[in-house]
Amino acid sequence: MAVSERVQEREIGSTASPSAERALDWLNLFVANIQTGFGPFIAVYLTTQGWTQTAIGIALSVGTVTSMASQVPAGALVDATARKSTAAAFSILAFTLSALMFAFWPVPLSVYLAEVLHGFSSCTLGPAIAAISIALAGRAALGQRLGRNARYASIGSALGAGLMGLCGYYVSNAAIFFLTAALTLPALAALVPLSRIDERALGPDRHSAPQRERIAHLLADRRLWIFACCAMLFTLGNAGVLPLASTEITRRASSVASLLIAACIVLPQLIVALISPRIGALAESRGRRWIMLVGFSMLPLRCLLLAFVTSPPLMVLVQALDGVAAASFGVLVPLVTSDVAGRSGHYNLSLGFVGFAIGIGGTFGTPLAGFMADRFGDPVAFASLGLIGFVVAILVWAAMPETRSPR
Amino acid sequence: MRRALAATVLAALLTLGVAGARSEPPGGNAPASQAPEAAAPNPAPAAPPEAKPEPEPKPPQNLEEIDAGTTVAILGKKVRDASGKDMGLVVEVLVDRDANVRAAVIDFGGFLGVGSRKIAIDWRLLQFDPADRDAPIVLSLDRAEVQAAPEYKPGGQPGPLVLVGPPPAVGTSAPPGGQ
Repeated sequence: MAVSERVQEREIGSTASPSAERALDWLNLFVANIQTGFGPFIAVYLTTQGWTQTAIGIALSVGTVTSMASQVPAGALVDATARKSTAAAFSILAFTLSALMFAFWPVPLSVYLAEVLHGFSSCTLGPAIAAISIALAGRAALGQRLGRNARYASIGSALGAGLMGLCGYYVSNAAIFFLTAALTLPALAALVPLSRIDERALGPDRHSAPQRERIAHLLADRRLWIFACCAMLFTLGNAGVLPLASTEITRRASSVASLLIAACIVLPQLIVALISPRIGALAESRGRRWIMLVGFSMLPLRCLLLAFVTSPPLMVLVQALDGVAAASFGVLVPLVTSDVAGRSGHYNLSLGFVGFAIGIGGTFGTPLAGFMADRFGDPVAFASLGLIGFVVAILVWAAMPETRSPR
Repeated sequence: MRRALAATVLAALLTLGVAGARSEPPGGNAPASQAPEAAAPNPAPAAPPEAKPEPEPKPPQNLEEIDAGTTVAILGKKVRDASGKDMGLVVEVLVDRDANVRAAVIDFGGFLGVGSRKIAIDWRLLQFDPADRDAPIVLSLDRAEVQAAPEYKPGGQPGPLVLVGPPPAVGTSAPPGGQ
């Protein structure tokens, strides 16, 4: 009986077991929670440990280089892993280890290793969660599921920022890494129900071409290149906006500056939490292209406003527009990649490829914004980041085809 | 494949063990590997029972003890204003050719590392309390007097701008210091 029920569910497509759906929600929430601790905060933490700015720069570069170099191989590794939940479990355990190494041994060798460990496992965890989502929801309802993922991930980020801010303020900076390590446990627990789902939907079709041919076919796909290019440029423009806006707030607002910056981080996450399920549903019903257009257009709009707005509270409000972009981006990256990679069996490899492109954008985005602001002042810096966003929107409009498969 | 993954993790664990073992003995807050020539006051060499009779390095005689609790390491320590409000962390100390300490660079403001600004503060505006190990530095300016200072830029021309005092009262003409 149970078997026939399952078959029926599979045919309907979207009605996966509610408990597994819940578990995936929690997984997204806790993973986002964990990732907050590994953000820009690491620089503050190492400073308090007596590290020089140069040494901190080296440590952070180790992490950046690792994650750039491992995006594509990590994707291939996840493709080759029999169970994606196992890959996810190992990634989360690597986070636990990495957080504990930061907390206990803030000395160079250990910090470098922790950075490598975290950089690599971030590259396996993202694709693994995306693959689990496909296996759980089926391709027909993937948009809705990814919308839900984005909702819970953003709630996790917002909670994480709040929790860790309080922890750093009232306890200690090292305590943040203990908290991070502790939060990996509920993430692991959330994986337990997900280890039982059927992942056959992820494999290649029985009668498809041999592997080498399939990869070549995939990498020749124009849609993958254009999308990766758009994602890279968008991140290049987007990555520097928050740091630039928040240093501006530090300069202008007095006692409440830190709170306003916290709001700059949390408010867009709340917007994501509110709208991303709707975005996921719209991506399925209306298609990916126009969501991409609307989402990516938020960058030029936000930059244009930031070039003129100087009152810190208003800057926070403008920053909320990032929520619309982040929700679209969060849903579209795994969704469009799934459209393109289809049932090739190389979904995670493709996701790694797009992730690599995003990584390039992120790595150069913040220094670019800093350089522009330094040389030409904030308004020009915002304007040029906005120009990048405008170019992306044009690129999407002119070159990006609709990837949703016709029904 | 699962086995390969397990092997990777195992290898990582082993490396971690090595890292832990290697990095624990120095202890302290300063990364010891970076200052090998800093002579420890009391090396207490545990004579290793090696076969080779290598001459034991003798501690130099020209040593002087600084009274306990009268100094404090300041890199990465918290700065507060006169009323005890958090003013950031010391990230750099600037010294001139005559060995005069000119300025401290503090990383000011921000939230979890986002939005902080590096600002150079004239050394004479700082007071030190070595008894407070966590926040030994008191700055005689408050946030409003620091927040709008220009970002510290190392090297290059022109030289770094240093905040030398509170903003002048309204009506005074030239801003103090800098260019």
